[in-house]
Amino acid sequence: MLTVNQTKNTLLDGASIEEEPYITLQESEDFFESLDKPAKEPTQLAPRNTFIRAGVLTTVRGSAYMEYGNTKVLAIVAPPKELIRASARRMNMGVLNCYVNFAAFGTGDLESVPERERHLSSMLTKALEPVVCRTEFLNFQLDIRVLILDDDGCLLSTAINCCGVALVECGISTYDLITASTACIYRDHVFLNPSAKIEELLWKHRSNSGTDSTTSPSSAQEHGLIITASMDTFEQIAQCQQCGYLSPATYVKLLDYTLDMNKSLRELVKGVLTKRVKEQHELDLREKAETALEDQRLEEIIEKLKKQGPEEFIQLNIREDPYVKRQ
Amino acid sequence: MRFQDDFRCDGRSRRDYRPMDLETGLVSNASGSARLRLANTDILVGVKTEIDVPNPLTPEFGKLEFFVDCSANATPEFEGRGGSDLAQELILSLKNAYESPLAFNYRTLCLIPGQQCWKLYIDILILECGGNLHDAVSLAAKAALFNTKLPRVTATMLDAGITDLIISDNPYDCTRIGIETVPLLVTVCKIGDYVLVDPSAEEEVCSTVSMVVSVSMRNGQAFLSGTHLTGGGAMHRDTMRNCLELGLAIGEQLDRLLTKMLNLEQERVGLKRPQIVGFLK
Repeated sequence: MLTVNQTKNTLLDGASIEEEPYITLQESEDFFESLDKPAKEPTQLAPRNTFIRAGVLTTVRGSAYMEYGNTKVLAIVAPPKELIRASARRMNMGVLNCYVNFAAFGTGDLESVPERERHLSSMLTKALEPVVCRTEFLNFQLDIRVLILDDDGCLLSTAINCCGVALVECGISTYDLITASTACIYRDHVFLNPSAKIEELLWKHRSNSGTDSTTSPSSAQEHGLIITASMDTFEQIAQCQQCGYLSPATYVKLLDYTLDMNKSLRELVKGVLTKRVKEQHELDLREKAETALEDQRLEEIIEKLKKQGPEEFIQLNIREDPYVKRQ
Repeated sequence: MRFQDDFRCDGRSRRDYRPMDLETGLVSNASGSARLRLANTDILVGVKTEIDVPNPLTPEFGKLEFFVDCSANATPEFEGRGGSDLAQELILSLKNAYESPLAFNYRTLCLIPGQQCWKLYIDILILECGGNLHDAVSLAAKAALFNTKLPRVTATMLDAGITDLIISDNPYDCTRIGIETVPLLVTVCKIGDYVLVDPSAEEEVCSTVSMVVSVSMRNGQAFLSGTHLTGGGAMHRDTMRNCLELGLAIGEQLDRLLTKMLNLEQERVGLKRPQIVGFLK
């Protein structure tokens, strides 16, 4: 995915298809050079362009769709149901199960999909456990499903954001709104909301870091990624997952960046949810008006009936069937 | 429990570990092994080796694979498939901690770049569960890696660029794996308003949230190689910083002690060589 070669295919009338060639270390190096790198310290902490919509599906009670840049995620929350596995029962707590699945076209790298799904599912469960009031559905389990339609980095944080909205939409009681964001550091450059290419580079980086390690000082070798989910009313951190190799000072620095981004995302989520409630209220009003109209019509009919008697009313309402001859 | 007075049920302070027994090299069928007993927690780790083909993207790197087995007699909750979730979590956190090439030197596992490398299977068996599994497992894994002996391998070039590997017949002719930077996991547990390390099983039940800090020492400096929160609770940023500081300090201390003890055990050769005790104590 780092390099994409366009090759002409004669079978497809000369249309070009994407081909993923063998990636060498040199190519990763070249790719990194070609990137427009952010400043060493990010100047503005803004999330990517975001689109969130609650209630996109009619088949389940809680659903939400989110676009975070090019990352597209769909989350589904069904009302809690009784525990299937009695052994999974917790003391005075309900059980939360999260399942993350990639759509077949969601990612280019098919080989690692099952492992990534497992990893994402377990981390998502950990991140959402603190936010759901699990004491309210004892002996019940809450299933949350996430479908990843397109992967352009920040998968876990987008999934957490999306699930937060879906939970509210489903009417599950939560302690707070949850928002999450990602930051990573690679060769001294801080990338906020890293794209899939940068995340990939970070993992492929495994190989060429060792060569630097002998020449450069220890601070230059740092690389790593932080995903923070927070609930900002009481400034609680629900989950903070770090991978890579970071010094404690860098860790705290990245943590603060992500917390700042979470705050602005929170405003957005709040806006979306209020809009959704208003929308629902309007729909309710319209429905109420329609039922009122219907009631009025029925009342009129009853009124008429009382005046004319049923015989006359039936005669009035019989319409001649044009296909049947009257005897 | 009175955590306010820095005094726990078993008489420890908030920064103390329970007594630990560590023995290496007790499984004769594995290349390296270690058994750790941390009060009631009992862990047995075996390292098996295999020759494999390296990943084309990392031609100079060997491979590591973790496997955790939660034995059903460790705690009644593990019966049936009950332990699989916990095992999965332990595998993920170990894998995450060992992921970075700065935390574990994968180059030492390379035989012929791009063609042959060692693959280590680190099999972890949880025999008894008395709390604080993350720490115990990582300590035992590090000790087992220290104990691992890779037989010396020589290669001969054949025609058409195919290489033939010859494994040394002499069982004492072997190489070791460097463990200086291998990370240790430290679980920092939050109970009430206080944070503490090495929670016992009872304390784990009381805690709302804990933070697993993976500490890797490099040139005398502590680095983080993978941390996460667990336990289903949330914490404030300041609490988290406290946890981090405590975890780093404890990790540094643990690492120093472990290395010291392992080196001491290794130096006792000849008549002074320790008897293998295993489970007989």
